[in-house]
Amino acid sequence: MKSADEIKRLFNSAAVQTNAAPDDAVFETLKTAYARTVEHKSAQRELSMWRSVMKSPSAKLAAAAVVVIACLIGLSLWRTTGSGIALADVLARMEQVKAYRSTTSAQWSEKVTGEDPNNPYNFKARLTGLKSKEYGRKVTSEELDPNGGWSKTGESYYLLPKRTLISISLKQKKYRRTEFDDRWADGWGGDGPLEWTKRMLEYKYESLGRSTIDGIEVEGFRTTDPNYGIPINRGESKIQGDWKIWVDVKTRLPVRCDYTCVLFYQMENKKKYEHIVVHDFQWDVPVAAADFEPVIPDDYTGIVIRFPAHITEETTIQGLKVWAELLGKYPENIPIEADFADVGDTVLRLAEKSETPAAMRLKEEMKGLTDEQIKNKLVDFLMPIRGLDLFYMRLQWYKKDRAYYGKIATPKDADKVLLRWKVSDKEYRVIFGDLHGETVSAEKLAELEKALPK
Amino acid sequence: MLQDKLLIWRLRRGRVDALRQIYDKYKAYLLKLAITLTGDACHAEDVVQDVFLKLAESYDRISVHGNLRNFLITCLVNRIRTLRRDGRRHQAAQFDGSAIERSHDSPPEHWAVVNEQMQRISEAMAKLPVEQREVVTLRFEAGLGFRQIASLQNASINTVQGRYRYGMDKLRSLLNGEVEK
Repeated sequence: MKSADEIKRLFNSAAVQTNAAPDDAVFETLKTAYARTVEHKSAQRELSMWRSVMKSPSAKLAAAAVVVIACLIGLSLWRTTGSGIALADVLARMEQVKAYRSTTSAQWSEKVTGEDPNNPYNFKARLTGLKSKEYGRKVTSEELDPNGGWSKTGESYYLLPKRTLISISLKQKKYRRTEFDDRWADGWGGDGPLEWTKRMLEYKYESLGRSTIDGIEVEGFRTTDPNYGIPINRGESKIQGDWKIWVDVKTRLPVRCDYTCVLFYQMENKKKYEHIVVHDFQWDVPVAAADFEPVIPDDYTGIVIRFPAHITEETTIQGLKVWAELLGKYPENIPIEADFADVGDTVLRLAEKSETPAAMRLKEEMKGLTDEQIKNKLVDFLMPIRGLDLFYMRLQWYKKDRAYYGKIATPKDADKVLLRWKVSDKEYRVIFGDLHGETVSAEKLAELEKALPK
Repeated sequence: MLQDKLLIWRLRRGRVDALRQIYDKYKAYLLKLAITLTGDACHAEDVVQDVFLKLAESYDRISVHGNLRNFLITCLVNRIRTLRRDGRRHQAAQFDGSAIERSHDSPPEHWAVVNEQMQRISEAMAKLPVEQREVVTLRFEAGLGFRQIASLQNASINTVQGRYRYGMDKLRSLLNGEVEK
């Protein structure tokens, strides 16, 4: 009969993970319930305070005096700040809009900490967007031409009803068509004034009072809440930002949205600066299906990308397995894919030199196929590998203290850490070289990582 | 602990990000506890969702000086007991409109993913009488003392210790082969 300690150990090694998609769905339900309760309770609180006050005659008198003083103060504030627009009304108004155009002027940089923060931007771009509830979103991007003016660099079509994203690079004469599952649709809606306003309502914000932009009387709202930047966090250790929305006092629709942001990368001791301004809004413009039909020139080469419907630990292990079977080792780095350089080309190039049975089989299957046929064949084959990239990216988004040791661990190493991420304050999930997974304490992980060859 | 107090403080001030942090911090832990107590991952998912909903809807009842973890554990145990007690009524509700609506709301993909050891433990625990299962889980997984468990079970400390002893004996014999693996 085994001791309590051994059973305790078995309990400790038992682990539960959560799948990201239902995880987000459950949280959305909670968020809605919480927001409803917060609203309800604050209304109740105001009412009960009023009732308590009005029970006592002397309190009634005091309350009356307070009301008179508050009215006087309120009137003077009303005159000076002009505050009167509720941000929630702005959101409600935007939700009624079927389509709009806007221009985004963006400048950003990647600078080592310590460089001149007064002149941090070294890259400028202009994005012209058309967003429709019915068809999706189209964005044309331009870069500042060294010879003067702007030159068009690409187009993107986020076709939500078709669950497709098409990006065209004019510079490289390439395009990519990404097909995504229903449950990904929410994440591809884009980040615009509507999303900014929604988020601002969740955090602490202030009124900036009234001002004039391009001859239009506007009222401003602003937040510097560091948590506001979390959804745009791409793995930075900290975001320091200043987000503003200026609303037309007559139409209750945004005239200008802007943010200035400093993104800190602690690990690399770097920080980036971003300054984005969305302006030239044209609300409720007429749109047609043809506006959202990409025109791809014949001489452009393209790829089709498909991701697994659910990105989980299992799909990640599958991605690593496919790669290792094909090439005899794990990818040295994740993400594998960068910009328009497709992972399919990388895989094919490496498989060409590989002698593994899987590589030989793939090469045999590719014989006699046209480039187009090869690309089509690779769409499903590469799916788990693409999932691997996304899983790793997601770990970064959610600050899961991820690390990957593809240069060290091999498929034969049952005791070497290949991939790890944090699952709780004290525990980490570890995928070992032989692709078995374990949940270990932070101390145990430190031992395992210490044992890795430098 | 201090972090929890800060989270409660922020939650009481209507901060959604605090809710997110609590959710991220405790979801896997509560799921593990619920699976051990119920022996059924689907059932456990519903229970944990209910516990978080309770937190979202009655966040102002938790004192900043209270223990968030123990609050969640108590909600979880009570929720499982209520569902067990109202077993028949609960089953009947599966066929009314509210249950159908709920099934639309619930995510199609499994929320919880368990490893092999978790599977073994939940299978073994399912063979224990409910009270013994509760004591062993709360002692092992939640790290509660016998006094706290006694208060939760509304029983004497002696009774709880007896349940623990019997539960452990049975668990040992059930897991005898498994632990050796």
